[in-house]
Amino acid sequence: MSTASDQFAALAQGEFAGCCAELYEQPAVSWLLDGQLHPGGKQLTLRAAQLAGVGAGSRVLDVASGAGTTALLLAEKLGAEVIGVEHGSEAVQRASTAAQAAGLDGAVSFQTGDARSLPLPDASVDAILCECSLCLFEDKATAIGEIARVLRPGASVVIADVTVGPGALPAPLQTAAARVACIADALALDGYEQLLRDAGLQLGHSESHRRAIAAMADRIEARLRAARIMRVPALEPFRGELDAAIELAQITQRAIADEIVGYALIAARRPS
Amino acid sequence: MCFADSGSGHQADGFSLTLERVETMLDAFVAAEGDPEAVQFSGGEPSIHPQILEMLAAAKRRGIRLVMLNTNGIRLARDPRFAPALAEIGIHVYLQFDGFDDATHVAIRGRKLQDEKRRALDRCAAAGLSVSLAAAIERGVNEHEIGAIVRFGVEHPAVNGVFFQPVTHSGRHLDFDPLERMTNSDVIAAVAEQLPEWFREDDFIAVPCCSPTCRSATYALYDGEDLVPLPRLVDVEEYLDYVTNRAVPDLDIRQALEGLFSASAAGGTEPTGERLDCVACGVGLPLQLQEVAAKGFMIVTQDFQDPWTLDVRKLMKCCVSEIVPDGRLIPFCAYNSVGYREQVRAELSAQRGAAR
Repeated sequence: MSTASDQFAALAQGEFAGCCAELYEQPAVSWLLDGQLHPGGKQLTLRAAQLAGVGAGSRVLDVASGAGTTALLLAEKLGAEVIGVEHGSEAVQRASTAAQAAGLDGAVSFQTGDARSLPLPDASVDAILCECSLCLFEDKATAIGEIARVLRPGASVVIADVTVGPGALPAPLQTAAARVACIADALALDGYEQLLRDAGLQLGHSESHRRAIAAMADRIEARLRAARIMRVPALEPFRGELDAAIELAQITQRAIADEIVGYALIAARRPS
Repeated sequence: MCFADSGSGHQADGFSLTLERVETMLDAFVAAEGDPEAVQFSGGEPSIHPQILEMLAAAKRRGIRLVMLNTNGIRLARDPRFAPALAEIGIHVYLQFDGFDDATHVAIRGRKLQDEKRRALDRCAAAGLSVSLAAAIERGVNEHEIGAIVRFGVEHPAVNGVFFQPVTHSGRHLDFDPLERMTNSDVIAAVAEQLPEWFREDDFIAVPCCSPTCRSATYALYDGEDLVPLPRLVDVEEYLDYVTNRAVPDLDIRQALEGLFSASAAGGTEPTGERLDCVACGVGLPLQLQEVAAKGFMIVTQDFQDPWTLDVRKLMKCCVSEIVPDGRLIPFCAYNSVGYREQVRAELSAQRGAAR
């Protein structure tokens, strides 16, 4: 596995595809995020599932399923049957192990795959969640086209993602690092909505969760400063870059406060 | 345990406890608590009792982990042997420290004291004693000094915490307008307003013990330049959820948070590393802090009840008891609000009169 700094370097050179799954598994990143890979935590995942109409026995696709947290939550709390598709093979392995440990391996399964060509048949799932990952995809239109293809008629997808604008992002938030942090490549709310409509989906309910992303940014900023004070082992390899990271986090906090950066749940339905 | 009636041990009807009596009270406390966490000697002014060191040592000898001396600091300032003697026993100093303005001291304590407070603190630092500042906050008197008290404490090497106490209107403070009382929320708002670079209101957590409206606290890391409130590092609400609706509470986290913010906690009584390991239980803070020169700092605001606010349901959950000379443990706010204080004073004064 390459190191986080290798991956940042690769990003700076534009080698983006597939980086992020591994990057998000780095000890430094998981320490900073405290295991919470998207704003709002489990509560917001359950809200997204509700908007997507997930219930007992629903067959749900989780796009970019990471370490499997969402899939396990939906199986455990809602009795759903979940398929997780994830780019990183290590994450898939880990998620599968976690499912076995939780005794949920009958209800959830994980496979490696690319959002640009989902390894699922047409019209095969009752609901799709795509949490804080569309912003990372370079080719968002193709990914949403794939989502539309595998949804059965009448079923819904919920995109949970970072939104930007109105107003331009501050320059430091347009960098490679900000792209990995889901910000630089995020769209405005109506940008996501347009992509969903272009894929032939009907827009449903959208809701803003600015407080959730503000809380997440606050926690990351505080953890970076705590790491600078306490010399947290996971962050020590990046000691020289902490000041810059803290500044970036604070710029992000301000952009959230200024309503340039936000977070939204966006539901869309495949027509019957 | 209180050493004298509120006001002064020198008053005509004041009383003092004997070492023997204190040992009996401590035995009663240990018997009641089993594994007692903390005891505070307060007054009056306990430091002027001729046997105070023996009494404090008696508490330590009984295995009470945190033994605190609540003092005005005058003896610490004037007697160079006192701070080293307390350090040797292992005492935590709870120093009354209400602010910096002359007017504040005169209004709350009746005299100017700031020079002696600073000398006391410097002697504590030299002796290696850890100190909590205890600030009585009264609206219109010293609420504007809340931020300055925190900053002073954070920056002073001996100080590991500040305890704010909105002034209660029992005992000698009866004459006031109940609609103008200071509350925990007022103190927290003042901290955030006066130190916006360090704290926000939501850095404070309402602690379940005694009752969430009794006490709010935060804990911060400080390295001489930057300060980070610890609650920002974790989703505290998620971990405090057990109070209201967890069917199966996560005991590790519960213990970590209760230990950090409980009524018996005082800033700096354990090494910072130990404390952080504690709050880190299960929440991903792998720390090796022994080599780190960071200091942990605690801010607590504790709204004691008075006759205007007394709530029996809160008394039933009380975690702060007054040990009275006959060995009873009385909820602190009941002691001060419903006549126990006066009763104890009358009994002890009568005994002393008879012994003369």
